[in-house]
Amino acid sequence: MVLCIIAFFVFAVMSIFSAKYRPLAKESFRCVFRTLMLKPCDTGLDQRIKAEVVAAVLRFSAPLAKLINRYFTALTWLFVAITLISLAYTVLGIYNFYFYGNCDGPQAINACILNDITGDYGRFGVPVPLIPPTALDGITAGNASANVTIIEFGCFTCPYTREDESTMKTLLQMYNGTIYYVFKPFPLPQHNNSFDIARAVLCAYDQNRSWDLQDLVFSNQAQCMSGGDTELETLAQGAGLNMDEFNTCFDDNQTGAQLATYVQEGKEAQIYATPTFFINGKPLVGPQSLSVFEKAIAAAGGPAAPGGS
Amino acid sequence: MDVRGDFPFLKANPRLIYFDSACTSLKPAQVIEAETSYYTQLAACAGRSSHRFGRETSEKTEEARAKVASFVGADASGLVWTRNTTEGLNTVIRGLDYSERKKVVTSVLEHHSVLLPLMRLRDKGEIRLEIVGCESDCSVNVAKWADAIDRETALVVTNSGNNTTGWKGNAREVAKIAHDNGALACIDGAQGVPHGRTDFRRDNFDFLCFSGHKMLGPTGIGALVSKKELLRKLEPLMSGGGTVKTVTTAKIEHLDNQARFEAGTQHLGGILGLAAACDYLKKIGMEKLEAHERTLGAALRKQLESAGANIYGSQDGPHSALYSFNLKGAKPHDLALMLDKHDIAVRSGFFCAQPAMDAMGAREGAVRASCYVYNTIDEVDRFGETLRKLKALY
Repeated sequence: MVLCIIAFFVFAVMSIFSAKYRPLAKESFRCVFRTLMLKPCDTGLDQRIKAEVVAAVLRFSAPLAKLINRYFTALTWLFVAITLISLAYTVLGIYNFYFYGNCDGPQAINACILNDITGDYGRFGVPVPLIPPTALDGITAGNASANVTIIEFGCFTCPYTREDESTMKTLLQMYNGTIYYVFKPFPLPQHNNSFDIARAVLCAYDQNRSWDLQDLVFSNQAQCMSGGDTELETLAQGAGLNMDEFNTCFDDNQTGAQLATYVQEGKEAQIYATPTFFINGKPLVGPQSLSVFEKAIAAAGGPAAPGGS
Repeated sequence: MDVRGDFPFLKANPRLIYFDSACTSLKPAQVIEAETSYYTQLAACAGRSSHRFGRETSEKTEEARAKVASFVGADASGLVWTRNTTEGLNTVIRGLDYSERKKVVTSVLEHHSVLLPLMRLRDKGEIRLEIVGCESDCSVNVAKWADAIDRETALVVTNSGNNTTGWKGNAREVAKIAHDNGALACIDGAQGVPHGRTDFRRDNFDFLCFSGHKMLGPTGIGALVSKKELLRKLEPLMSGGGTVKTVTTAKIEHLDNQARFEAGTQHLGGILGLAAACDYLKKIGMEKLEAHERTLGAALRKQLESAGANIYGSQDGPHSALYSFNLKGAKPHDLALMLDKHDIAVRSGFFCAQPAMDAMGAREGAVRASCYVYNTIDEVDRFGETLRKLKALY
């Protein structure tokens, strides 16, 4: 009986593509239906599948065939559990894709897909060429006259941008004074509170404390998204900001206009995911390992990685 | 016995070991051609239409009746075409008059085709049924029959070949006991007629029922053979076209010959096929066939024993090449499916004889291997080898 549950799912899907599986799908459905009606399954499908499996295994290993034959019911329960878990993960993946733009959820280490901003599906569709931005304003760090400039479009509510933050900090330390880093906030509309958080970090940057606030934002990302301005104020205080200046800046239309400029730059660059990096104009999409950045910096004419990694 | 080339099914499935002949046998080309010839050369009604094709069909089918009757040592005038053994048995069991004697005796080893119609009559209060039990070796000895059959017995029903054990039984002795008590003897010949010489007159049976498809013939055709005078005592199961002399809206005057039982157009192609099957078996020789089956049966039992199978029934006495068995720890259906995966076709379950299987201790059923004229010793050996391999699974 247990096997019929799996068989029903498998044959139902296969029936979509081939008519020869439809009788088997009907047979397995009958078995499942009878079981639900508390009647014994009378199709014999499970016995036939068992014989098929055991006979196939018997061809190359009698002890394994014996094991499968003996514990077949337990094994089928295991497969049912695996099927149900897979199904649950599939549903979760669909949910994540709908709400977070990816199948892996907010904690995943890939990239936030921006299809509803740019209309482009990135890795799920035909890629569009990325156009490096020319303006170098944003939240900056490092040496403005360095040979290598890394521009990042990121979102403070994006788990992949968060993932990347420590790499950027490490790079700035490693390449002390030999690279220039420009962060352009690109808040995602599908993430709650993303625009307000971006404004807050811009205001912290005005007070030269942007890293302090964004560290707190990233480590409390979920609360920031659900807690609204109250949570932001708490974090701003925690980052040691002058709250009067912060509040003035936060409410200033100029801050909003500045943020809108960065978003527009991102759209013009045709980015489809955050984080997106341009290293002397050469794009990299999604969080990358330190070694990838080292190679990209070297390729862009920057210094070799200190420590020779 | 070199007959495999006559069987198109074996040519189409050269790797297959067909050990399910007790369920239905394979058909030689001669039978298939004979059945087909009706549709390609005759195609008309028998006993009705006066055109030449109708006349020829009548001649051929009556020739077939004579051949089939002769095959079992009976007169053509006592042979009624039926669909199968089941219809023949039902015709006898339900067609007799039990107003004077109500008792019917049968054994627990009978097929459902015997037990079910009898139990239904018992449940309706029309008969008193006594079911004789079996011995530990799954046989029913003559003494038990003699104890059960008495002067109140109207009918005794038994088989001339058991479909669960292959034991050919003691039908002749049982018929004699029945006659000594003034009762009638009806023999289920489904497994007896195909596997040994049957002589209806010599054995003094009153009724004999058998199917074509278990003896190389087509499905859907069988025969009820009766002593001619007893046919008049039977009430037909069905009425319809071809069964009456005259009929008005007030009265029916039935024919007094076997046509009274053959309502409607018969399975004419099947009748020709069954006659061809009798010809085929006669050409081989039933004695030769029995000897072949004895050799196969002995080898089969040896292989089953070497695989450690639990075999139902005794090897003593006349036996066809048929054994029901179980392997310890294996469910019969599972084992049959595993054999199928090794190109061996056997049957599993209760073989339409659940009370018999219960009596033998096979309460969850068994696997049955049954051989016939086209099987070989080499196949039996391969079967044994496979069984030993599968035993490792359980």
